[in-house]
Amino acid sequence: MGHTYQAVQWNPQKKRYDQLVVGGVLLYLAVFMAVSAAVFPEATLETLLIRGLGTAALVLLHIILSIGPLARRDPRWLPLLYNRRHLGVTMATVAFLHGAFSTLQFHAFGDVNPIVSLFTSNTRVDSIAQFPFQPLGACALVIVVLMAATSHDFWLRNLSAPVWKALHMLVYVAYALILLHVALGSLQTESGTVTPAALGLGAVWLGALHLRAARAEGARDREEEVREAAAAEGWMDACGVDEIPEGRAKVVVAAGDRVAIFRSEGHLSALSSVCQHQNGPLGEGRVVDGLVVCPWHGFQYRPRCGTSPEPFDERVPTFRVRVEDGRVLLDPRPLPLGTETDPVPVSSAGSSPA
Amino acid sequence: MSEQPQTDAEPLYIGWQGETAPGLARFVRERVIAVLLVALGLAAGIAATQAPFGASRFEFGVERSFEGQIELSPYPMLIVDRPGAENTGGAPTSRWLLTVFGKRGADSAVVHLAGHRVRLTGTLIDRDGVTMVELLPESLVDLGAAAVAGAAPAASTPATLQGEIVDSKCYLGVMKPGNLKVHRACATRCISGGVPPVLMVRRADGTARYVLLVDADGAAVNDRILHMVAEPVEITGALSRLGDLEVLRADPASYRRLGSWSPSPEAP
Ligand code: HEM
Ligand code: FES
Repeated sequence: MGHTYQAVQWNPQKKRYDQLVVGGVLLYLAVFMAVSAAVFPEATLETLLIRGLGTAALVLLHIILSIGPLARRDPRWLPLLYNRRHLGVTMATVAFLHGAFSTLQFHAFGDVNPIVSLFTSNTRVDSIAQFPFQPLGACALVIVVLMAATSHDFWLRNLSAPVWKALHMLVYVAYALILLHVALGSLQTESGTVTPAALGLGAVWLGALHLRAARAEGARDREEEVREAAAAEGWMDACGVDEIPEGRAKVVVAAGDRVAIFRSEGHLSALSSVCQHQNGPLGEGRVVDGLVVCPWHGFQYRPRCGTSPEPFDERVPTFRVRVEDGRVLLDPRPLPLGTETDPVPVSSAGSSPA
Repeated sequence: MSEQPQTDAEPLYIGWQGETAPGLARFVRERVIAVLLVALGLAAGIAATQAPFGASRFEFGVERSFEGQIELSPYPMLIVDRPGAENTGGAPTSRWLLTVFGKRGADSAVVHLAGHRVRLTGTLIDRDGVTMVELLPESLVDLGAAAVAGAAPAASTPATLQGEIVDSKCYLGVMKPGNLKVHRACATRCISGGVPPVLMVRRADGTARYVLLVDADGAAVNDRILHMVAEPVEITGALSRLGDLEVLRADPASYRRLGSWSPSPEAP
């Protein structure tokens, strides 16, 4: 598999998205600096910059972690998910500036290499109140910078999807490290109430969003599992024909995998519901111009064989379907990648498998 | 019946298509503005509720010329005249701590000038009447051995003091905040680099008192106290005056950590 690097493709919306993200960060920093300077005229610029950048990165991280579950609940959030990578790269850049300025301020120009000092200057690992909080931030920074550096699809293909996925799940480890970084750092000496309150509310918000998304998914899956168990080995009863609107899909769990049964121009085709790009929910996509389109980043698949149109080479497994007495029946055994299936007309009551 | 998000009225957003249905565009615009407003509110809220910053001074970028006599022990200092001090009942000289650029003490810059009068260029750092100068080593001009020797340490009295060990450079002005937990790593680095360590003791009225720390023999203690900085400690030793400064002699091994942590934010 030769993975050639494809330059990022720009369109006006992507540009607007980026302008918004960068503009938002600059506005955040401007407000932070202006309010600080007005309330504390004796404050020093370096400290304000470090604090402004650190809190900006954390706010961005909350936004990034919220978009996924929000878009699962309401697809109208999808336009923000589409370019989430750019938010991630921005967050990593802001966090890097915060870490770099802090390292310069607190560790440089001394008698020890600044990076060594970062990990060795506070030795009180025996105390919670005095625990070294900067190394926690440094570990989180390594994670977010690695994620940003590998966020282009070029790396997704080169690292292989499972490795890439595992790396990007580390964002939750980074989030936990940053919570500790702030709780054991600034919160130990800052008297304000806004930062601790915001930190707590943010954690509760993210926890609730993710829990709800997981629950909704779990309930959906359980319902399907019952149906699946009921089906004798071989064909299972997936749904009624009229449950699938034209151009859309019904997602069922078959043999542990999610399968999307699409209806396009009155014909049914079943594909794996897991997009080959970043495991997006293909079954929540639509059929556009005869191609199944993933709701996350718009990857396309041919309904009859699960392959992407040229020049792309993504492939998802296909499944056999048939229609009997207004019910859609599915063979839960995936067909080999690239297998052609004949789309089944919805009105083909009683017809036999392809 | 499984529940899937159904918004059939709205077409699917396809990122690479470059066009968005009007209803969808409004939804997204409203959410983006809401998120932005919450973020800016947070910026203002967090900024406005920071702990007070110290009223210390670091004349960053301002270089002045000073003249005085170099004293090396226990830490490099410049003894400067205070003309007119006799009239007001003050001491005739003042001892200013010396440092150089970065997290460094001034020892190597002035070691060859012990007891000499010098002229130097540097930047002022001061807080609560205690002064330090970050000197430019290349600006040192040797004006010859001084006629008057430095004052001999006065008699000492036994004392037990509670406070926080800070590095004199940051706390007296270079960094805000220059003490407590967030500054701990930096204080460690500064003291390790030779900046004079000071016990900052809070008086009942909230003002601060700064006591130079030396060991039982009067020698610098920097590398022996690194694990004790930026947290409450109690030190028992012999307290004496060195001109207008205070010095506490005590064996670093006898410093005691105070278990309970009571943050004392910087007094404005
Ligand atoms: C090498 C990496 C890092 C270093 C050396 C570092 C250092 C510091 C220091 C010294 C502070 C205290 C500043 C003060 O209160 O004066 C701080 C606070 C903070 N850091 Fe980091 N940090 C690092 C990485 C990160 C990362 C990756 C994030 C988040 C994405 C982050 C978020 C924050 C936040 C939110 C604060 C609290 C600011 C406040 O409310 O005052 N830090 N960091
Ligand atoms: S997950 Fe990215 S297009 Fe499907």
